[in-house]
Amino acid sequence: MDKMNHSSADTEAETIEALRYLSKGEAAAIETELLRDYRFGQQQLIEIWGQACALAITKAYPLSSLPKKQPTVLVICGPDQNGSIGLVCARHLRIFALCASQEFTAAPVNGQDTYPITFSARALRHEMVVPRYYDVTTEVQLINDAYNLVIDAMLGAESDPTNVKEPYCGILCTLKQVKIPIASVDVPSGWDVEEPSQDGIHPEVLISLIAPKKCSMSFSGKHFLAGRFLPYDIQKKYELNLPDYPGTDCLIEL
Amino acid sequence: MVEEKADRMDGLMGAWVILYVCTCHQHGFTQLHQNQYTEYEPIIYHPKRSSQSVHQDFTVQCEKMDIPFLSYLPTEVQLINDAYNLVIDAMLGPESDPTNVKEPRPGILCSLKQVKIPIASVDVPSGWDVEEPSQDGIHPEVLISLTAPKKCSMSFSGKHFLAGRFLPYDIQKKYELNLPDYPGTDCVIEL
Repeated sequence: MDKMNHSSADTEAETIEALRYLSKGEAAAIETELLRDYRFGQQQLIEIWGQACALAITKAYPLSSLPKKQPTVLVICGPDQNGSIGLVCARHLRIFALCASQEFTAAPVNGQDTYPITFSARALRHEMVVPRYYDVTTEVQLINDAYNLVIDAMLGAESDPTNVKEPYCGILCTLKQVKIPIASVDVPSGWDVEEPSQDGIHPEVLISLIAPKKCSMSFSGKHFLAGRFLPYDIQKKYELNLPDYPGTDCLIEL
Repeated sequence: MVEEKADRMDGLMGAWVILYVCTCHQHGFTQLHQNQYTEYEPIIYHPKRSSQSVHQDFTVQCEKMDIPFLSYLPTEVQLINDAYNLVIDAMLGPESDPTNVKEPRPGILCSLKQVKIPIASVDVPSGWDVEEPSQDGIHPEVLISLTAPKKCSMSFSGKHFLAGRFLPYDIQKKYELNLPDYPGTDCVIEL
């Protein structure tokens, strides 16, 4: 009888599989499959992720907890998908009565935009939020004084941290010095997808998309996961072992 | 398929088996999208598929989530009553003409008027005029209005929800929508 109990306890332990942390290649492969095989639209995914990011921000930094008089949030958007997610996040934060000021880094300097979706997200933004354009100021104190937190939606999993071009280099320098909290979307900007960075930015909050990336295995801040929509077949194929999302929530704190 | 589902009805403790009735217009898109994100057991009846690629994309998303699509709706109303907990009516939206409802929808509407299980309608109960409640049409228990409620729902007596928190303030002001304040971070509010 004891043997039977022991083996059933073992079986139970075995079935609770560890959450999978993705490599750069796996993250890219999953996204390709979602778009190509599962016919999700890029705008659809960005909308889902952007809304989840906004919800994560409201959980991590409830309105009542913000120290400044105005509930200002600086959203730094890069030119690629990560930036589009930042735009949608800002739009939702605006609806949740947080004031999102969007810092738009320069559009791709060479004029080529391989992500047309970014423009439509910007169009939405124009209708919804009054944009306040700043040059990204190196006056760290100005940022510390004006905003309650920074949302880093600059560089995503697809970027190359060894080849960070301006203006992002300068912005990252600034971000390393700000005293207000940083919340990063998917991968902290400037980090390698598979390795935590020693001298990069140190966000307090990370919102992983689909599944956490290898670089976040030892992340010690508040870590959220957004990706409830992910089809079961993909979860099984990549052995993601995602946790059970509570109720009807579209995100979960890890 | 209907008989299989009947075996799985266990009341409150079992899975909530839900019949979604959609069509090829935008209305149907809404339901196909919503199907994927619940722990309920949706089954879709989708008699006429649209050729629009966005509709097809939503269909593929549902198929890949192993959401069953019925090939026919039983005309025997008791079969529907027995097999499902509720019906979500996502057939005809505000763009449709209730005086010119083409098959197979009149047949489906006939069945829906007789089912005993609750009906929840998306935006406008199918077969209703957008501006006038229907006397002899279907009678949903729940109505989920999109963006803003329609005139036909002014005297709606069931549970009435509003979905549309994303709506830009300028549009709200332009059309004097006077939308209520959505609670917390909810994207839906009960009116």
